Amino acid sequence: MDVFKRIEAPFLLYQIDVISADDETLQRISDELGLALNVDEMRRIKEYFKSKGRNPYDIELQALGQAWSEHCCYKSSKYYLKQFIFNLERDYVISAIKEDAGVVEFDDKHAYVVAFESHNHPSAIEPYGGAATGIGGILRDVVCMGAQPIALIDPLFFGNLDISHFELPRGTKHPLYLLSGVVAGIRDYGNRVGIPTVSGMVFFDDRYLTNCLVNVGCIGIAKKENIVPSRAGGEGEYFVLAGGLTGRDGIHGVTFASAELKETSEEESRGAVQLGNPIVKEPLMHACLEIVEKKLITGMKDLGGGGLSCAVGEMALAAGYGAKVNLDNVPLKEAEMAPWEIWVSESQERMLVTVKPELVDEVLYVFDKWDVPANVIGETKAEKTLEVYYKGMKIYDMEIEFVTSGPEYCRTYVSKKPEIKEEERLKPPSDYLDVFKRILQHPNVASKDWIIRQYDHQVRASTILRPLQGKINFETHGDAAVIKPTDSMKGLSITADVNPWMTSIDPYWGTAASFDEMIRNLVAVNSVPHSFVDCLNFGNPEKPERMGEFVESVKALGWMASGLNLPCVSGNVSFYNETPYSAVAPTPTLMGIGVIDDVRNAITSFFKKKGNAIILVGETRPEFGGSVYSEVTGQKSFFVPRTSPERLKMYIDCMLNAFKEFKVFSCHDISEGGLVVAIAEMGIGNRLGAEIDLIGIEGDVFVKLFSESNTRWIVEISQSQAQDFVSFLLSRGCKAYELGVVSRSDLSINDRNFNLEIDMKEVEDLWRNGLVRYTGW
Amino acid sequence: MGEIEDKIEDIKIAVLRIEGTNCEDETVRALRNLGVFAEAVHLKQFYSDIIKESEKRNISDYSGIIFPGGFSAGDYVRAGAIFSARVKSVLRKDLEEFIRQGFPVLGICNGFQILVELGALPGFDEDRPLSETPEMVLAINNSNRFECRQSLLKHENRGKCIFTRNLGEQVVRYPVAHAEGKVTFPSSMERVYINRLVQNDQIVFRYVDEEGNYAGYPWNPNGSVYNIAGICNVKGNVFGLMPHPERAFFSWNHLDYPKKGDVFSEVTSEAFGEGKVIFQSMIDYIRDIL
Repeated sequence: MDVFKRIEAPFLLYQIDVISADDETLQRISDELGLALNVDEMRRIKEYFKSKGRNPYDIELQALGQAWSEHCCYKSSKYYLKQFIFNLERDYVISAIKEDAGVVEFDDKHAYVVAFESHNHPSAIEPYGGAATGIGGILRDVVCMGAQPIALIDPLFFGNLDISHFELPRGTKHPLYLLSGVVAGIRDYGNRVGIPTVSGMVFFDDRYLTNCLVNVGCIGIAKKENIVPSRAGGEGEYFVLAGGLTGRDGIHGVTFASAELKETSEEESRGAVQLGNPIVKEPLMHACLEIVEKKLITGMKDLGGGGLSCAVGEMALAAGYGAKVNLDNVPLKEAEMAPWEIWVSESQERMLVTVKPELVDEVLYVFDKWDVPANVIGETKAEKTLEVYYKGMKIYDMEIEFVTSGPEYCRTYVSKKPEIKEEERLKPPSDYLDVFKRILQHPNVASKDWIIRQYDHQVRASTILRPLQGKINFETHGDAAVIKPTDSMKGLSITADVNPWMTSIDPYWGTAASFDEMIRNLVAVNSVPHSFVDCLNFGNPEKPERMGEFVESVKALGWMASGLNLPCVSGNVSFYNETPYSAVAPTPTLMGIGVIDDVRNAITSFFKKKGNAIILVGETRPEFGGSVYSEVTGQKSFFVPRTSPERLKMYIDCMLNAFKEFKVFSCHDISEGGLVVAIAEMGIGNRLGAEIDLIGIEGDVFVKLFSESNTRWIVEISQSQAQDFVSFLLSRGCKAYELGVVSRSDLSINDRNFNLEIDMKEVEDLWRNGLVRYTGW
Repeated sequence: MGEIEDKIEDIKIAVLRIEGTNCEDETVRALRNLGVFAEAVHLKQFYSDIIKESEKRNISDYSGIIFPGGFSAGDYVRAGAIFSARVKSVLRKDLEEFIRQGFPVLGICNGFQILVELGALPGFDEDRPLSETPEMVLAINNSNRFECRQSLLKHENRGKCIFTRNLGEQVVRYPVAHAEGKVTFPSSMERVYINRLVQNDQIVFRYVDEEGNYAGYPWNPNGSVYNIAGICNVKGNVFGLMPHPERAFFSWNHLDYPKKGDVFSEVTSEAFGEGKVIFQSMIDYIRDIL
């Protein structure tokens, strides 16, 4: 008997013989249906249907393929995430990890909602559509909690832009094409829906050549009383499906994201990339928020990975119920779709809500008013099974608990030990000026304004600190964006950080350093670190070395977070960012959120006034592992800058107190490129220079200039307060040095037998053109 | 005093929305901060049968209308073309009458594009507030892409435009964020139209650099002819501009870019920013005509 049996029906339906299938056949079934399940998982399915005494329909196997994918059930990561990160509780966290987004108290009446996800595989195949739908998906995650989105962030990672087309591995798109496409996708979607893109980062390295990474985050604000759970409220409630039509786009998106990309992915998987439509999303958001405000619904969940197959079951089961669905009521883009395609389609801009029967007309009216299609497609029932009907036929009947009981693996791993030598000695550069110039124009350091200006970072009129700040048309990079989400003066600060060069050398210390940078940015704008979310991008977890990178990184996150008492409120794991050519650098992207009691006290990053004192806060050590200095001078370094939560905590408290005691004119954290780059960036933003004297600090000149030691900031303060400011920090156990003064137009750095002079105009040109020399302006 | 406050409460301003308009919330917020009644109104509320009685609206309910910024209907064809086509098909007569009666109509960014597509701007003919065909266009920026930046605008209106009557001859800072903002006239009519705009006192804002000079990119962010950033109609009651005054409404909106010669933006002493004057002038004018 054939394994796949066509069933007599007015539509395409197969029954699959798993009961009599041997292991080899089970694997073949998984491969042919594109389920991406392994033989062990298929055997579990076989046993289940054996006990039911019947064979499954295609739609049932497809549903299991979705539910048990890495993307949906975190089967490789859950064990370690629970062990290291998800154990920290703070009383101001309203809901963490369990729902589509984290919910955290903002003030008495409001909560902020935060979500962070990757859209890597789709963006590698179709950069414009992949990135755009990434924005669409993350907005839904926030809206479905009942929150108004207020800000987007977008950390991006690509291969080096100077690679020639002849060197590209087969099937790989040029990084410049990917960068342009991704930025355009985020721009055209984010700008159209009217949510500002306020923060992000861009990083270039050849480990991203065959797998670019596109991470997208969103923050929203909600009245606490309006927070909507992702579950039904009771028995006999209606499921209303609202939003765009369901089509064949985005089929197998999650299974595609749960395997390595290969040369032929372009041809085979383009159908897995969804098509976005911001002008369906914009009214959908308004309509959803209106039914939330009018308290017409009991639950809401967005249709993301796995489409209806994941959303219906999860909404019913989380409430302790089952569900009955009729696919006839799902509006389709194409009439001839097979029921399994309708069930797993990931078509964009769709939302599922549960409604008490007496309120359903009012809900449908609101959607109609906004021209958003909405239909009742099913209802909840007491028995915890899920039944699906199509054209009068029952084609799906399984216990929901079985469907959602995805496997959990404790995968074996090998921790990477960096090749560290006891005494690592880097050489000073033969030409300081040349090295400084090369650092300034390195695309990882240089101005990102070509990208940032394509995003509307001011729509909603609530952005207080923008990603670009300073004298008009001469703006420099800010540290963290600050948003004012309500009528009160209280604000939220937002930053996104990771240093993949450091995590590549040493996943543990590299992750800890990235965490330190996130905190530094939040503190630099005078906000108190409040929570964080992570988007963990790694290679194939079935390979022990990759799993080792993941585990080390998660351990470091747990160590830093618990030491600082900073809760992780949401997150996302993206594995299989790997091709036969290479795996991505371990990329635990972090999004930090801080609170600031009065946004008018936010501190900007550019120098304000000639003659003001420049202070270095923190300790500088010869730490060059993963630094820009080691990259541009070609010297290998394995010692990634260290940090510790205790020391960082001391500096956070001390800096935030100092900001209350003293009038600080500007503050900027020291990261890529070291001290000299931080000072240059502060000057660029207001066309000012600096006169710096390093004699008071111990150590080699090149260490002082280029080391990327953690927990450091540059602070600008009036001459008259400089000494008191330094004493204030010293007396509290922190290190601080007066480095010099803000000057008119040159950058001048002096040390014993050392002098470096450069016109700030030249500094600015190098910094501004570092990226646009590839992209064109 | 009491009388004036009563009048303020009588003032009702509609901020029109359809799918893809996206600056209505902050525009409504700006107006409400000045004490008037303002609401975002979906175009369907003026004409559609499906709308409930309690949500139905008429243009005559309002004493001012604002077309807000955004990407109405996605702006997949010429920016503003679809919104203006819908307005023409359902509200043309009402809107013409509204303008003829002297009520103020403001278009910000996408709203400016919509007013141009409607033929309400440049609005040379007082008797025909909406011209048969558009007489200008807001073309794609010279940079050929969307750009978000701060702009400096020199106020040059001599008193015709009712939206800037409270503003002297000075430079203000408003953000711009658009892909299609280059004021362009038919090339054969360019000189004629500019002269006419100047003579009629219809030029309101022009892009300048920090010295106050008419300058090129990036000070003129889109390549507009004659550095035009905003114009009004011949009567002065219809005004369109690409920059966003609602994004400069509060003093803290200016926090991260200093004024020339400023060390700090003095945000603590003053609650309002440089964009307030547009909305305040609009309200003052309505109070006078009501």
